[in-house]
Amino acid sequence: MSELNLTDNKFIQFHQKIGFKFDGVKYYGYKGDTIASALIRNNIKLIGRSFKYHRPRGFYTCGIEEPNALVQIISEFSEPNTRATIKKIYEGMEIESQNRWPSLETDIGGINNIFSPVFPAGFYYKTFMGPHKNFWKKIYEPIIRKAAGLGKPPKEFKAVSTHVNHNVDVTIVGGGLNGLIAAKSLIDTKFSVLLIDFDDQLGGILNNSNKVQSVNNQTPMDWISETVKDIENSKNIKILRNTLVTTYNYINHLIAVEDKFVGSRPLKDKVNSTLHKIRTDQVILSNGHIERFLSFQNNDLPGIMLCSSFEKYMCRYGVMPSKETVIFSNNSNSESLVFSLIKKGFKPKAYIDSRSGENIEPDLFDLIRKNDIPLYTNSQIKGAFGSKKLQKILVEDSSGRFNEIKTDFLCLSGGINPDVHLFTQSKGLLDWDEKDLTYKPAQAFQPTITLGSASGQFDFNSINKEINEKFDIFGIKPVQIDLELNTSHKFKIEKLWEVLPQKQTIWSKSFIDLQNDVTTKDIRQAISEGFDRIEHLKRYTTNSMGTDQGKISSINALGIVSDLLDKKVNEVGTTIYRPPYAPLSFAAIAGRNSYEYYDPERKSPIHNWHISNGAVFEDVGQWKRPWYFPINKYETMDDAVQRESKNVRENAGVLDGSTLGKIEIKGKDALAFMNLIYTNSFSKMKPGSSRYALMLGEDGMVKDDGIICKISDEHFIATTTTGGAATVLECMEEYAQTEWTNLNVYMNSITEQYATFNISGPKTRNIIEKVFPEVNFSNEAFPFMTFQFHEYEDTPIRILRASFTGEMGYEIYVPSNQAIKIWEKIINFGKEFGLKPYGTETMHLLRAEKGYIIVGQDTDGSVTPLDLGLDWMIGKSKKDFLGKRSLIRSDTVRKDRKQLVGILPINKNDKLEEGQHIILDKEIKTPMPMLGHITSCYQSPTLGHNFALAVIKNGQSLIGTKAFASTPELKTIEVEIVEPIFYDKKNTKLAS
Amino acid sequence: MLIIDCPYCGPRDQSEFSNGGEAHVKRPDGSADIGDREWGEYVFIRANPKGIFYERWVHSHGCRKWFNCVRDTSTDEILKIYKIDEERPKLDSFKNNVKTPSGEPNLGSGNFTVKK
Repeated sequence: MSELNLTDNKFIQFHQKIGFKFDGVKYYGYKGDTIASALIRNNIKLIGRSFKYHRPRGFYTCGIEEPNALVQIISEFSEPNTRATIKKIYEGMEIESQNRWPSLETDIGGINNIFSPVFPAGFYYKTFMGPHKNFWKKIYEPIIRKAAGLGKPPKEFKAVSTHVNHNVDVTIVGGGLNGLIAAKSLIDTKFSVLLIDFDDQLGGILNNSNKVQSVNNQTPMDWISETVKDIENSKNIKILRNTLVTTYNYINHLIAVEDKFVGSRPLKDKVNSTLHKIRTDQVILSNGHIERFLSFQNNDLPGIMLCSSFEKYMCRYGVMPSKETVIFSNNSNSESLVFSLIKKGFKPKAYIDSRSGENIEPDLFDLIRKNDIPLYTNSQIKGAFGSKKLQKILVEDSSGRFNEIKTDFLCLSGGINPDVHLFTQSKGLLDWDEKDLTYKPAQAFQPTITLGSASGQFDFNSINKEINEKFDIFGIKPVQIDLELNTSHKFKIEKLWEVLPQKQTIWSKSFIDLQNDVTTKDIRQAISEGFDRIEHLKRYTTNSMGTDQGKISSINALGIVSDLLDKKVNEVGTTIYRPPYAPLSFAAIAGRNSYEYYDPERKSPIHNWHISNGAVFEDVGQWKRPWYFPINKYETMDDAVQRESKNVRENAGVLDGSTLGKIEIKGKDALAFMNLIYTNSFSKMKPGSSRYALMLGEDGMVKDDGIICKISDEHFIATTTTGGAATVLECMEEYAQTEWTNLNVYMNSITEQYATFNISGPKTRNIIEKVFPEVNFSNEAFPFMTFQFHEYEDTPIRILRASFTGEMGYEIYVPSNQAIKIWEKIINFGKEFGLKPYGTETMHLLRAEKGYIIVGQDTDGSVTPLDLGLDWMIGKSKKDFLGKRSLIRSDTVRKDRKQLVGILPINKNDKLEEGQHIILDKEIKTPMPMLGHITSCYQSPTLGHNFALAVIKNGQSLIGTKAFASTPELKTIEVEIVEPIFYDKKNTKLAS
Repeated sequence: MLIIDCPYCGPRDQSEFSNGGEAHVKRPDGSADIGDREWGEYVFIRANPKGIFYERWVHSHGCRKWFNCVRDTSTDEILKIYKIDEERPKLDSFKNNVKTPSGEPNLGSGNFTVKK
């Protein structure tokens, strides 16, 4: 039985028993217990196995700094690496220990501990290098991954999280003694304030220790409840509990994550966590300090715990980890544990201090003497021993004698560190304090105030002075807090980082990083191998690279390194503290931007028609486009595409081209502007005509293409590729606003406003005449590359005669809300002529037969219009347009540039593939000179065989010659290089 | 994350903006009289200093307006924001934080955490 008293308090409701399972065994705790406190209540000391050596580990701390007690929460989507010391239990919770097999008590991986002499720092880097490069990926890595590591990743996960933004004047991080005083002083001022604490109970050290006897003549608990009530009743201060600030960015931007289900099972489809994004004028860091441990032989055994953590289990959770503990310290932080134990009627088994008697606090000295506690001053623990738990310790006393003490528990204190993570994340600088032996905030980079122990102010009597000085900027009434203490107000420490073992063997281990199994031996080895810069040393040994980021140990490592190198700690420096302060889940970061909301889906106005007609969809950027329309579920894509494209060539087909970008350009200088943006000249174009146009980057490379309709010199409509719509508009806006500011021109996207239907095929005219009987579609009245506006049943439509298939065709532009009406008309009237809808794959095939390029497939940002054989599209008489000067750069006029050509297999049964290289030799030997590659390749139902487009070096001059396409199996296919056009070379069909 | 004071909309979060690289780069016209070097430098070469930098931003998820900005790239401090057609502020009107021989500022570079 390790419980203190069972009367309810605000932390633990002892009348409310909670059942939970740990490794399949049912245990009971109370409402308010963490997993750790509940397991300690049940006398469980062994909680997990270590990362590398599989050593047994217990609870080392009582908070977020915990390196060992990481568990897998089976009842929450098997969430791994949860800190047992902060996660609260609830009825029916299921927990498993990690990194052990077959069980926690009997772990086969423990054999690593015996082989540990062969696993030094850098072991993996040095060992797993041969004999073949595939060995790492195929053999070593899978085995190591199975043996090492912590929890297992969850298999399914559907967490719900949300984001909340805050804009406040002051944010106080940490609601302990200093945070509460700060918040109280800001009550009913003009400042809006956010007070954030990780705990569900504000009060910090007042809750977790007996250091303070009274605050303003009230008991600490009374003072807390009165202060919190005052803060809650104020209009300008909001408290966020269970909220951890993980990140401190530029411009006082904080990220904090709030757990919405503390001590209860997270509900499905309810927000599990909230990510708070906070902008604030002033940040007050009052997030306290963290106690550090000490290194000696086997300092990782279950049964060893930090002093302040032991005290927290007593004060906060009402549970005694042990009734007879030994205490080992080098500083005054252990005093309050001794006081607490004696106050509760317990007595430490022994008190060991590395300091000499006169340096120990007089009150502590008296307390120990009065209670007959065995005292060892000027003494050190040389080692701890036991199997799976602590059984005895070896103490070297001031006279150099070795004393063995039998004990099952040991409390450690190696000093305290201000919790400087957030301060350094904000780019503030630290300075080493030689008296208190720790890094303290020295110079803030942003408007940041540090208070109390977070600022390195360890003296309780200086609280008033510090806060009044630092709060001067707020212009508020000075604070006056009267504290009465149970322990000394000053912090004193004597340097001690590591105690060397009595006998050093190859198996003796003094840990410096418990989570990553780094020993002090590894540090020495790294330094002897030349990794003496702290950032190198960290990465070589993996010291402080675990999920706890070495919160209780990284300063010890710096101390050891500075001693070994005989340098000052400030010269050794410290590694950079990077966000997050503690792990936060991806679900919290993703918020609502997950699953179907991760990226918006854009759909054509007639998307539902496609669905009900069995279309298979393809993602084109954010758009969902019909890929092909199978006639039944057995038809493959290849079959469907052959059928669809044959139908377009023989009858007619209709494509939903609504995703094409559409930009409307207006203004007095619209003509001049269009002449500058596109390569073509639009000056001589008649209103009502249209033109295929190219847009270049300033480097002369093809960026986008489309059809430009000229309504007048002051009004154009441009289409763009589906994927290029946004960048083309951005480019137009950029040049209109920053370069040609003298031009009077405006542009706007009208992509979503209009649906586009492309009908093409020899029977197009028959169909469209039926759909729009009042329009004259004869060649004379409606020639190729012209457009007309019409009214159709009160719907304004625009009809453009253009084609992307090589057949005669029309594009019909309809307002989106009327789109389905027109589409169904076309489908219905087309039936008797064999009209069928077709998808993007058929469109690709048809355009390739005709030799029309797709920007981004046949071009890749290194292709000029000349490379494509599109010289005729360049307005040679124009003085300037985007990229014009680049077309005569030395690089763009090179003779051996890659140029667009067609490729045909000599043997008509051979199949080509996109991405295949074109070479000149039949035999492949390395190095193989490569001419270029196939960019588009299809099986043509019209030609009856494969054909391809390719970009190859000096291609235009190679037309008519033979070459080879290489296959991944190092075979070659004989091909012929031809003109990049395979269908209707004379363009008779377009104008028919 | 920066807070950028759009001259048309007011202060907004950086996520609403896109950076447009160096400002005040003069575009030569496209005529053949422009030498290869002059044109090549316009197309390919941009300054990337540590310290005071004149750069362009566009409020792409807002008013879609372009504007200019003076930013200290070593501390990320935005020193001035002005409209495209406004005069470029003089360099000596800003205090340059870059002091040390290697160009590292004392604060905020991210390379130091400890006071020397």
